[in-house]
Amino acid sequence: MVLFLRYFGAVVLVVLTSVYGASGDALVLSGVTGERGGTLVFAQRNEPKTFNPVIAADAASRELIQLVMTDLIHINRATQLTEPALAKSWTVSHDGLHYVLSLRQGVRFSDGQPFTADDVVFSFQLYLDEKVRSPQRDLLLLEGKPISVRKLDSYRVAFDLPRPYAVAERLFDGLAILPRHILEPVYREGKLAQAWSVSSLPTEVVGLGPFRLKQFLAGQRVVLERNPYYWKVDQAGIQLPYLSEVDLEFAGSEDTQVLRFQAGQSDVISRMSARNFAALEKDRVRRGYTLSDVGPGLEYSFLFFNLNDLPEGASPEVVARQRLFRRASFRRAVSLAIDREALVRLVYLGRAAALSMPVPLGDKAWVNAKLPHIVRSLPQAHQALAAAGFSRAPDGALLDPEGKPVEFSIITSAGNAERVQMATLIQDDLKQLGMNVHVVPLEFGSLINRVFQTHDYEACLMSLIDSDADPNPDMAVWLSSAGNHLWHPEQKTPATPWEADIDRLMREQMITRNRDERKRLFDRVQEILMENLPLIPLLSPDILVGAKNGLGNFRPAMMDHYVLWNIDELYWRAEAR
Amino acid sequence: MSRRWRIGLTSIFIALVVGPLLLAGFVAPYPYAEQHREYPYAPPAAVRFVKARPFVEVGGRWCEVRLLPGNGRLFGVAAPCVIFLSGTDGNGRDVFSRLLYGGRITLMTGLLSAFLSLALGLAAGVVAGYFGGWPDWLLMRGGELVMALPWLYLLLATRALLPLHISAVEAFVWPAAVIGAVGWVRPARLIRGVVLSGKERGFVLAARGFGAGHAYLIRRHLLPLTGSVVVTQATVLIPLYILAEMSLSFLGLGVEEPMPSWGNMLTEASHYHALILHRWLLAPGVAAIPVLLGFLLLADILLDRHD
Amino acid sequence: MKYLGWRLLHGVGLLALLSLLSFMLSQVAPGDFYSQLRNDPRMSPETVAALRAQAGIDRPFPIRYAAWIVAVSRGDFGYSLAYHSPVAPLLKERIGATLILTGAATLTTWLIAVPVGIWSAARRGKWGDRVSTVAVSLVLAVPDLVLAIALLHLSVQTGWLPAGGKISRGYAQLGFIQQLRDVAWHMVLPVTVLVAGSTPVLIRHTRASILEVMEAPFAMSARAQGIPSRRLLYRHLLPAALNPLISLLGLSLGSLLSASLLVEIVTGWPGLGPLFLEAIMARDFAVVLAVVMLSAAFLVIGNLVADLLLYRFDPRIRTVD
Repeated sequence: MVLFLRYFGAVVLVVLTSVYGASGDALVLSGVTGERGGTLVFAQRNEPKTFNPVIAADAASRELIQLVMTDLIHINRATQLTEPALAKSWTVSHDGLHYVLSLRQGVRFSDGQPFTADDVVFSFQLYLDEKVRSPQRDLLLLEGKPISVRKLDSYRVAFDLPRPYAVAERLFDGLAILPRHILEPVYREGKLAQAWSVSSLPTEVVGLGPFRLKQFLAGQRVVLERNPYYWKVDQAGIQLPYLSEVDLEFAGSEDTQVLRFQAGQSDVISRMSARNFAALEKDRVRRGYTLSDVGPGLEYSFLFFNLNDLPEGASPEVVARQRLFRRASFRRAVSLAIDREALVRLVYLGRAAALSMPVPLGDKAWVNAKLPHIVRSLPQAHQALAAAGFSRAPDGALLDPEGKPVEFSIITSAGNAERVQMATLIQDDLKQLGMNVHVVPLEFGSLINRVFQTHDYEACLMSLIDSDADPNPDMAVWLSSAGNHLWHPEQKTPATPWEADIDRLMREQMITRNRDERKRLFDRVQEILMENLPLIPLLSPDILVGAKNGLGNFRPAMMDHYVLWNIDELYWRAEAR
Repeated sequence: MSRRWRIGLTSIFIALVVGPLLLAGFVAPYPYAEQHREYPYAPPAAVRFVKARPFVEVGGRWCEVRLLPGNGRLFGVAAPCVIFLSGTDGNGRDVFSRLLYGGRITLMTGLLSAFLSLALGLAAGVVAGYFGGWPDWLLMRGGELVMALPWLYLLLATRALLPLHISAVEAFVWPAAVIGAVGWVRPARLIRGVVLSGKERGFVLAARGFGAGHAYLIRRHLLPLTGSVVVTQATVLIPLYILAEMSLSFLGLGVEEPMPSWGNMLTEASHYHALILHRWLLAPGVAAIPVLLGFLLLADILLDRHD
Repeated sequence: MKYLGWRLLHGVGLLALLSLLSFMLSQVAPGDFYSQLRNDPRMSPETVAALRAQAGIDRPFPIRYAAWIVAVSRGDFGYSLAYHSPVAPLLKERIGATLILTGAATLTTWLIAVPVGIWSAARRGKWGDRVSTVAVSLVLAVPDLVLAIALLHLSVQTGWLPAGGKISRGYAQLGFIQQLRDVAWHMVLPVTVLVAGSTPVLIRHTRASILEVMEAPFAMSARAQGIPSRRLLYRHLLPAALNPLISLLGLSLGSLLSASLLVEIVTGWPGLGPLFLEAIMARDFAVVLAVVMLSAAFLVIGNLVADLLLYRFDPRIRTVD
C-alpha cells in the first residue's frame, strides 16, 4: 500500500512537473491562456545559413535563432516597451553608467544544464571579441568604445557603459545568451565561426528559447520541438510553449510562400506585398484564414541624390549633374512634384502611408507632428525652380541655369517590383516638370557597390527598415561620419553646416535620458531634414500578415518578428486541431 | 494544297500578325508610357456594337470608337473616355498598346540574336567539321568553355562596365548581342556533326577527286546538307531567346523602363497575384503564340522540299 | 583508347581555363559577398572591411587564384562565406536531388519525343502530322517559367499536386515504398515543366532528320526495290538519322546539372538551382565556382560520350585517328 502510494505519488509528481513545473524562477505571463499541443508550419523565404548567433548576419538565420534562443531584456513587440526576460529585474546607477541585472534562478538550458551569470559574461565576451568579428559587436559600441561586463555573483551581472546612453535597456533585445559549457571549448580553439553550422547535430545547438532544434533538412525544412526546460508559464501555471513542434519550410520566393499559405500547407504568413494580400482576400472564407493589416511598419522609402565629393577621374557627367543636385531648391522642387498619393494607391493599393519626414510612421511617437505635410504642388515646384534660375525650352524641357537640359538617372533594386514601379511613377511626375529621367533597375549587389563604394550614380531610390521604434538604431544614417549616411557617407568633417547641426543634435539625444528632451532634439533634426531634403521621403508600407483561423493568441506586430514574436504563446484552439 | 499556296498563306498569316507590331506607332491607341493613374489594373474594355458601330463602356457611359480619329492613330475614343482593349497594368498603362510596341522589341531581339547565333554557329560548325584537326579542336573546346561559363556573371560584369546611360538602341542591341554570342555553340555542334558525315559521302569525295577547292565543296555540297538543321535550330532558338530576354529583364539587364518588351511584361504577369486577379496581363504570352506559330509553320513548309 | 585519354586531358585543361576565366569575371562583377552587409545601418564599415580581410577577398587576384589551385589539389573546394562551412558537403546533399529530377525528365523526354518524331515523319503531310506539328509548336511557344507558375497555381486550386518541395512532413515515418511514392508525387510538376520545354525541340529534330534521310538516294532506291516501309524505317533510315540526335543526347547529358535551375527555384525543389542562384546574388564565390566546375565536368563528359557514339554509330563517318 505504501509502495503503491509512493509510486502513485511519484507518477503524479512527474506529470505535474512536466506540465506545470517550469524551472525555478519562472516568468508568469498573466493574461495568457491556451492549450498544449499541435504543430505550426511557417514558410520562410530563404534558408538559414547558420545556427550560430554570434556570426549570423542574414535575416533567415536570425529568424530561426530567435526561436531557439533568448535574451536578458526583451522588447515586447505589442507594447514596444522593455520587459524582463532572463534578467528578472535590474537597477541603474544615478549617472546612468552602471546597470546591475539580477538573473532568474533555477533556469536550465535546453540540454538540462543550469544557467548562471558565467554564461552571460561568456556570451558578451564572444560578442565583444574583436577577433571573432561578430556583426553584433557594433551594437555594443557607444561612440567607438565597448560596454563591459562584470560578474557580481552567480546570479547578478553588472554592465558598465563608457557614456550614458538613453535607451541602454533596449540594447539587450535580441542578444542571445549562449551556453558556456558547449561553446567555450570551441572558442578556446579559435573555431567559433565554424560552430553550429547547418551541418551540426541538432543536439549541439543548445539555448534558452521556447524551442530547440530537432532536425534540419538542407533545402527543405527545419523542425523544432518544444524545449522541456523553458522558463515561462501561463496564468494557470502551465509551462509554455503551447505548441509541441514548429516546422520552418523554405519557400524560395514570395510567390511560393503565398501559394503554400493559400493551399493550406503553411499556417502563418508574414509581410506580404499589398498585391498578394489582395489576391489572398478572394479565397479567405473558403480556405479558412484571416488576413490582417497591422498598419505602417518601420520601413521607409526615399529618393536621394549623390552628394559625394567625387575623386579625380570620376564620370564627368555625374560631376556636372551634382551641381544641380547640390541645390536645395532643386531637391525641394523634386519633392513637391512627386505624387505620393498615387504611389500609395497604385503601388501599395492604399496599404501604405505617405511620409513627410524620413521617419517611418511605425515610429509615430517620434514623428514631429508639428511639421506641415508635404502637399504635391506642381506650381510651387515650378516657382522654386524659376527662382533658382531654371527655365523651360520651347519643347517643354527644363533647362538648368547654364541652359543645359535637365537629365539624370534613378537607380533602384531590380528585384523589388514595388520600388521599380515607384521609380517609374516618379519618372512620369518629373516629366511634368520638364525633367528627362531614366529609370535604371540594377541587381542589388551592383546597386550597393555604386552607392557605397564607387559613388558612380546620380539618384537612387531605396528603403531602410528600422530595427527598433527609436531614433538610435539609425545613428549610422544621420551622422555625417558614419557609413550609412547614404548621400555622402564617411565624411571626415561635416560637409555642410546643416549636417554639422544634425551630428550635434543626434549625439546629444543619444546620451540624454529624459524622453521629452530627446523628442525635442529629434524634432529639431527632422526640421533640418525637411528644409534640406537629403533624403526625399516617400512612404511607409503597412505590415500585412495572415494566419489560419483557429490559431489562438495571434497578435501580429509592426516590428520584427511580425507574427512569431510571441510564438511561445501561440496555440491551436480545440476546433482547429 | 500546293506548296506555293501554303507558303503564300503562311506568309500572309505572318504579315497579319507581325504587321501590327511593326506599325505599333499607328495601330496602338496610346503611347507606351502614358499613365492613366485613375485606372490601375483596369480589366479589358467591354466593346459592343450598336447599329454596326462600335461603342465602349466607361464608368457607366457609352463612348463611340472612331476609326482614324485624326491623331495619327488607327482608332480611339474622345476624352475623357478610354479604351483599354486588354486592360491596364499597375501604372494605368494600356496593355494593348504596350503589347504592340513591346512585341516589336522582343521580336527584333529574338531575330537578331538567333541570326547571330546561327551565323556564328554555321561558320564554326562548318570549319570544325570540314577541316578537322586543330580548328575543330579549338572550336569545340572553345565552345564547351563558352557553354560552361556562368553567363549570369558575364552579364552582370558587362552591365557594370557599361555607362549608366545608354541610348535606347544600344540598350536593345547589347543584350541581344550577348545572348546571340553565347548561344552559337549548340548549332555549331549539330552542324559540325552533319558536315563530318557529309564530307565523306560519295559525291563529295568524287568532287574532291576532280580537284574541287574547299570553298566550292563547302558552298555547293555541304551547306545544303546543313539546311534542315539550321532551319530547325532557328525555329527553336527564337522562343528560347525570348525566354532569355525575360530572365534578363528580371535582373534589370533588359530594355529600360518605361519601354515595354514582352519579357518585362510577362515578368509582371507571372507573379501569383497577377494570375489570380489580373489575368489580362498575360496578353503577351498569348500574343506570342500566333507569332511563333507563324514562324514555326513557315519553317516546316520550307523544310518540305517536295509536296 | 588513346583518343579517350586525349579527350580527358583536354577536359581537365578546359576546367582549368574555365576556373581562371571565372575568377577573372568575379573581379569584374561589381561588389563582393560583404558588400550587401554595408546596407545594414547597424554594422560599421570597419567591421565589414575586417570581415572582408579575414576572408581574404581583398588579396590580389593571382594570389587568390594560386591559393584556390592549391586547395583544390588537396580536395578542398573552398569555403562558403554565407554558410560558414566547406562547400563540398553543401553540394553533396543537393546534387542527388537535381539529378533525380533531370534524369527523370530526360528519360521521359526521349521516350516520348523519338517515337512521336518518327511517327510524325512517317505520316508526313497527312492529318496526324499536321496536328502534331501545330501542337508541338504551341507547346514550344509557351515560356516554361509561365507554365511552371500556372501549373503551381492549378495544383493549389485543385489540391492534386503538392505546392512545391521534395518530401512531405512526416516523411521519416513512412515506409520505403511510400517514401518513393511521396517523392515521385512531388516530382510530377517540375518534371512536367522540364519535359514540356525539351520535348518539342527533340520531336522537331527527330522528325526533320528522318525526313532528311528519307529523301536520300539510298532510301529512294531501297523503296524502289520494294523494301517495306517499316523495315526501311527502322533498319535503314533510323541509324542514318541518328547523327543530330546523338549530338543532342550529348548535350542533354551535359546539361543534366544545369537544365533545371529555374524550374527548381520556382517549384522549391531542393537541388543545386536555388543554391546556385542565391550564391550568385550574394557573391558567395566559392559556391559559384564549385557549381560551375561541376556543371562543366558534366558538359565535357556529355560531349565526349556524344562524340564517341557519333564515331561508332554513324556509318558515314570514318574513325579519325
